[in-house]
Amino acid sequence: MQKGLKLTDILTTVVISIVFGIVYKLWGPFYYFVKPFGLHIDQLIYGMWFIAATVAFLIIRKPGVALLAEIAASSGEFIMGSEWGLEVLLYGVVQGLFAEVAFAAFRYKRFDLFVVSLAAIGSTIGSLIMDFYKGYIEALAPWNLALFLLARFVGAVLISGVFASSLVKALEATGVTQLVRSASKEDFDQLNR
Amino acid sequence: MRLDIRYRETWLHQTNPTFKLLVMLSVFLLVLFVHNPNVLINLSLGLLLLFFFYTGYPMKHLVLFFLPFFVIFVSTASSMTFFGQGTTTWVRWGLVHITKESFFRGMHLGFRALSFALLGLLFSLTTRPVYLFYSLMQQLKVKPKYAYSFLAGVRLIPVMLEEFQTVQNALKVRGADEGGPVKKMKRYAVPLLSQSIRRAQRIAIAMEAKRFSEAKNRTFYYQIGVSRYDVIFLVTMIGLIGLSYYMASVFPYFPLTDVR
Repeated sequence: MQKGLKLTDILTTVVISIVFGIVYKLWGPFYYFVKPFGLHIDQLIYGMWFIAATVAFLIIRKPGVALLAEIAASSGEFIMGSEWGLEVLLYGVVQGLFAEVAFAAFRYKRFDLFVVSLAAIGSTIGSLIMDFYKGYIEALAPWNLALFLLARFVGAVLISGVFASSLVKALEATGVTQLVRSASKEDFDQLNR
Repeated sequence: MRLDIRYRETWLHQTNPTFKLLVMLSVFLLVLFVHNPNVLINLSLGLLLLFFFYTGYPMKHLVLFFLPFFVIFVSTASSMTFFGQGTTTWVRWGLVHITKESFFRGMHLGFRALSFALLGLLFSLTTRPVYLFYSLMQQLKVKPKYAYSFLAGVRLIPVMLEEFQTVQNALKVRGADEGGPVKKMKRYAVPLLSQSIRRAQRIAIAMEAKRFSEAKNRTFYYQIGVSRYDVIFLVTMIGLIGLSYYMASVFPYFPLTDVR
């Protein structure tokens, strides 16, 4: 057994993430299109920027994939000329790291909605840490800050948790995930019957 | 991403990509700790000069690239301006409460977003992704399996965009382009993702079949080195920052040194 991720895992993760990188890039204009409606409606859709980590992990199910996916997606976004420029790279690293922590907490053994939502919450915390330094969010009026936080957490769980896991379920139905996942215990049990 | 736009190679193109990235990341971190709007405005103006005169692109395109940043500036500045805390009230209108403090903090955030955006654009307009990843392997010793995966991913961007078009047309032909946003997103995401996984698999197998290896002493088609342009770049950036601080203390725009 080779240690760490194999070329196939890395390549698959990166390529999936680049798809999300395109989505991330297109999400930017959408985000500032929604923003003028005020009252932090934009924060509801912020969660899309965490989805690469959760989807890639659910597909490949290996340690390190979530972090790599988020880095790859943000660099894809960056290379395509993101409106936010360099900051997306750092946000990507931090968000990926926090998602990774959530998966690691269950030793990469759980792939259900709960752990994915936890990863989404982790990424949200990561993004908030960055916002704390960058955006002085603590200086918003308290009611406004509460609304801001609530919207971001709810959006993250809905998009990067619920939507991501239903997306991967749909992908599993196509059979492609069998290409990348290592054989599970059930597979061996099938052979031993 | 540089599409088929003609540009002139400037000294910014000649600097080592890794070095450029590291310097820009340092400037980025520095900007996070700048709380004086005067300094930040000067720095943004400096970066704007670099952007307009040293990226080597025609002015028409540069203005076009710049437009979304203006929107970012306004949208970033507005929520802090309207909802930030402060003591000197200027306008109060329903939930909106503009104070002197929140206004300056909002403007500061706008300029901060602008400078981040300019840093990013300066980099992506003057760096070829291929050189960046070769340089990362040579200067930072990034493992080839990571670097080449990223390179393959970057190369696939146009293919993916094309595939997106195909899916869009196919859905239209079948009259299946209706439904709620979630359903619609899935309808696009599933084929795009599954094709990407298959493609990634094929590429990985092909690479391994051609003996892609983790050998220590590999040779590179592109040799990326360090040159005098890197010195010029570093000196320019340090000069820009120094000048921003100096001008802010000698000719401040606002009598304000900290927006927090």
